[in-house]
Amino acid sequence: MNKKSMWSFSFSTPVLVLIPVAVGINYVGKLFAQLLKLPLWLDSIGTVIASMLSGPIVGAISGAINNIIYGLTMDPISFVYALTSVAIGLTVGIMAYRGRISNLWRAVVVGLVVALVAAVVSTPLNVIFWGGQTGNVWGDALYAYLIAHGVPVWLSSFLDELVVDLPDKVATVIIAFLIFVSLPKRLVQMYEGEEALEKLD
Amino acid sequence: MARALSLYVEADTFVQKLDPMVKLLYILVAILIPFVILPFRWVGAAFIVLSCLALLYARVFARVVPLLGFSFLILISIVIIQGLFMPGNKTPAINILGLTFYKEGLLYALTLCIRVLDVLLAFALLVLTTRPSDLIQSLVKRGLSPRFGYVLSSALQVIPQMMSQVGSIMDAQRSRGLETEGNLWTRLKAFLPLIGPVVMSSLLETRERAMALEVRGFSASGKKTFLYERESSTLDRVLQWTLIVVLILSIAARFVLV
Repeated sequence: MNKKSMWSFSFSTPVLVLIPVAVGINYVGKLFAQLLKLPLWLDSIGTVIASMLSGPIVGAISGAINNIIYGLTMDPISFVYALTSVAIGLTVGIMAYRGRISNLWRAVVVGLVVALVAAVVSTPLNVIFWGGQTGNVWGDALYAYLIAHGVPVWLSSFLDELVVDLPDKVATVIIAFLIFVSLPKRLVQMYEGEEALEKLD
Repeated sequence: MARALSLYVEADTFVQKLDPMVKLLYILVAILIPFVILPFRWVGAAFIVLSCLALLYARVFARVVPLLGFSFLILISIVIIQGLFMPGNKTPAINILGLTFYKEGLLYALTLCIRVLDVLLAFALLVLTTRPSDLIQSLVKRGLSPRFGYVLSSALQVIPQMMSQVGSIMDAQRSRGLETEGNLWTRLKAFLPLIGPVVMSSLLETRERAMALEVRGFSASGKKTFLYERESSTLDRVLQWTLIVVLILSIAARFVLV
């Protein structure tokens, strides 16, 4: 089976239709997390599924569009964190393409990597905007404790973000993986770059 | 019918009629100048006042408050944490309940508050006074691929549809005995049976939607036309050039001042 290149910028219609649905899944995940009163955001499941299905570019675009739509419709500050979403999409897409997400344990490892990447990208944004805080009670309590004890702002801010991101991103990737493996085969093939629909004529 | 996904407030002032690209340019200027070009507190404060005046004029100021809600909580915690613990704190400023707030930390917190408000209000001006569909159309006119224009506007339609399924899936799974309350592990386990059906059904629908689009010539080559034509007004051009001139002047001021 010859897969399309990971960095292809040509999008078939099914792939373009997948992007809005990925954003919708992000919204629904966030809503269910709130309804179940879970201490997690779970607002990037769609981005992760899109990356697993169609690679890093589509994942990154889904992430960016997610934050643009969220910024337009809910909270303008979300535009700024589009960078983090793009990084999440790219990371998952590359690791999935290389076959790193073949079982549950590997999904956990990918979750850890994603959390690390998300924290690295978010930290400068947090420092510029919030002086290093994240708005999460537990993370900010740790941040206050660390800077009160002379730990540099950047490191405190990174740990603040990481404490929040680790459980969230690991849970996100696990849930996305469990959904991904239960998808029907013909659906998965449609997104792997096989442009069956465009060859109908 | 699901509520349309938008923060747009219907009103009839010149701000609503402005070309969305001018508002995007304003956001760019309101971020670049106080953050990069002239990083002084009063510059940021000036942009805050300017955004507030425009929001007041557009009669959407009351809608800004709920937008600020979440950020406001963080800003309060920033004042407390930086005022008490910032590493550079030396000069005590005030003493509340035995806790000493320092001048340096409070000033730094003030800088952060100004920056956050500046960005938030500039974006609020765009999102509260612009229909998302108008914004997408004017982006497509300026060269965004129409296929991506479709992706953006389709997201605005798909999301309310998917959100409207949330309530019925929750009820359906509960009636089959799914526990959605209790300890953390119970609630965590309930997440997958809840999100699963939405994801499956919406991904299966994409197949049909892709076919429906193809049948209607979505991938057809040729020039795309617009249903609504919008001429750019004199005011659009005047404001656009004013913003560009302000940007150039501020870069010049940077070299004079520093």
